[in-house]
Amino acid sequence: MDYMLEAVDLTKKYDDLVAVDGLNIKIKKGEVFGFLGPNGAGKTTSIKMMVGLLRPTSGEVLVNGKDVHDINKEAIGICPQELMLWENLTCKESLDLMADMYEVPKKIRDPRVHQLLDDLFLSEKADTVVSKLSGGMKRRLNLALAVIHEPEIVVLDEPSEGLDPQSRRVLWNYIRAMRDEEGKTVILTTHIMDEADQLSDRIAIIDHGKLIRLDTPENLKKEIGEGDVVDMKLSDISLNQDLINILDDQDDVISAVEVNGRIIIRALGAVGKLPMMMEKVENLNGRVADISVRQNTLEDVFIDLTGTGLRE
Amino acid sequence: MKFISIAIKDFKELVRDRRGLFFILLFPIFFMMIFGFAFGGMGEGNTPHNIAIVNYDQGTINSTSGGNINYGNNLISALQDANYENSSVKLFNITTTTDSHAKDLLRQRTVDAELIIPINFSNSMAALINNTVQSGTGQASSVNTSTNSTSTVIISGDTGFMGFGVAQGILVGVLSQYQDGVVTAVKNQIAGTPGAQPTKFIDTNVQSIPGTQNFTQFDFLAPGMIVFAILLLATTVAAILTREVESGTLLRLKMSKMSSFDLLFGGLIPWSLIAGAQVVILLAVAIILGLHWQGSFYSIILAIFIGIIGGIASIALAMIIASFAKNDRQAANLGTLIVVPTSFLTGAFFQLPAVFLNFFGHSFQVYDLLPWTHTLTALRSVLIFGSGWNSVSFEVEMSALLTLILFVIGVFLFSRTRLRAEN
Repeated sequence: MDYMLEAVDLTKKYDDLVAVDGLNIKIKKGEVFGFLGPNGAGKTTSIKMMVGLLRPTSGEVLVNGKDVHDINKEAIGICPQELMLWENLTCKESLDLMADMYEVPKKIRDPRVHQLLDDLFLSEKADTVVSKLSGGMKRRLNLALAVIHEPEIVVLDEPSEGLDPQSRRVLWNYIRAMRDEEGKTVILTTHIMDEADQLSDRIAIIDHGKLIRLDTPENLKKEIGEGDVVDMKLSDISLNQDLINILDDQDDVISAVEVNGRIIIRALGAVGKLPMMMEKVENLNGRVADISVRQNTLEDVFIDLTGTGLRE
Repeated sequence: MKFISIAIKDFKELVRDRRGLFFILLFPIFFMMIFGFAFGGMGEGNTPHNIAIVNYDQGTINSTSGGNINYGNNLISALQDANYENSSVKLFNITTTTDSHAKDLLRQRTVDAELIIPINFSNSMAALINNTVQSGTGQASSVNTSTNSTSTVIISGDTGFMGFGVAQGILVGVLSQYQDGVVTAVKNQIAGTPGAQPTKFIDTNVQSIPGTQNFTQFDFLAPGMIVFAILLLATTVAAILTREVESGTLLRLKMSKMSSFDLLFGGLIPWSLIAGAQVVILLAVAIILGLHWQGSFYSIILAIFIGIIGGIASIALAMIIASFAKNDRQAANLGTLIVVPTSFLTGAFFQLPAVFLNFFGHSFQVYDLLPWTHTLTALRSVLIFGSGWNSVSFEVEMSALLTLILFVIGVFLFSRTRLRAEN
């Protein structure tokens, strides 16, 4: 198998805190690799080590078989979570500057800058200073600056954060195009499950610095059970736990958990199980305020694996 | 060449940040204007000194006329009439008042000194005259003398006040001349002729350094203000470097093929130009405010060159500050904390007492370790006295050498703390 990037027993410790604990990941060339985890799970620390910005306590990162600190810098482009922009430069000046920093020849640089501005719908703002751009435009420029030198690996750290649906579609199309048309390897960290599901070829879920699952989105969804999800809200949420206990005892219910005051029930042929569920609610003298049936999603997998507790 | 792209980037950011540019260029101008107004007239030409006089003198009887003669009043008139040599400008502005009011005026520094004429001043003067007459004719004079013929004129004031220092020196001289004048007049009366001045074997003549006849305190301070402005660059550059760290743009550059040299040398170019521009702008403002500039066009070019070296030293200092500051506000505060005392140490505002250090048997001035001390000395020499390269070459070379050392330290610290992979 042709692996573009490998993390081998990657560990990062800060005094007593183990931020990343023996991470082993192999990322294939030309795939979009999703990186999921709750806040503080170790995603950004892992990414920083993978691109050579942070030295691991132990372990190593190999890019095309070479240590990440020995590779050519143009091999990796990173689009950070925060906007890293020069507020007093224009879009075009910012792109020209980064192209110069990567020693992109002028005859390649100029059409590349033009193309990027076009692809990311920034052509009209080419000569506008960054401080006068909207939030969505800044995000798109943030991405453009990461790929101006045409890196083989593009790391996108929560690129859709704060974007409106229109800008998000532009971004998603561009990420797909990088993979499908340019053959780039894309590493994507995100909190938006729909984004990870739609874009990623494979997804790694990490928590407490450890890799807990690595598979395709389809396989991950299958892993926690095929079938449907019943999303129910009771009028009296104090009955939620009693109902969950009752449903958990049913053989044909795979799982029942409470998420944000709602009860999420996974079951094969969920529609056929609805009368039974309604009967259990009535037995508790409860009343259903809202109910829907839907397909299993990546968010269900994520919650199932990492729990519902808040992470700060 | 990546450092040129960095230089262009920094220059564009600098020019487009109007508020920052306004602060960098106008803040020192405001300082220059304040110092110009405060010290522009100090030392220029002759100005009268404000004196409060308390006259306790009760006078004495003139035995010829039988009337009362008051030498205290006579002294006051003499002081009021005294002019600077070869000038119509009065030596003193006199206020005759009470002791308590005079003390109030001294505390407010409304007057430079208080002169207290004692109760028996006329008796003492009469004794002096009598003594002169007796030694000339063997007869007693017509002015009565008492047994208590010694009196003390008191000159009172704030010894920490520069105005008192000058005024009391002049007063002592004038009082001495008054006594001499009275003695000479009596001798002439006895001889019945206007008389001749005693033959002088030693004469004194005060001469100014050429071109400094009209110099004021501001002429000394103006080059100091330029050095202060150049030093202030360290605060601004440190804040900008730290902002680049904070905003993450430095991380973006760090990921690229840019080297530490590209970043720091590239940044040096626009800031050096700013330092050169500051020299020209502040010199122009200082001349408008009354600086007695003696240089030529060549001296401006030389001053810009000296200013640029000082500017590079400030940028090196900024790198050191930015290596330790966590955010731009901290960098600005830390910068001010370092820059202001440093400007005093260089002698930008006034000369500090000499402090020598012994190092392997060699003794050197502590302030000479600062590159800006040499920048200031060279600028004063070039701008105020119109000196050329030969006169300031040592100072410029010392400034360049110390700047180089500071720059190496700055690059080392900044690269180590900001441009390497985190641990």
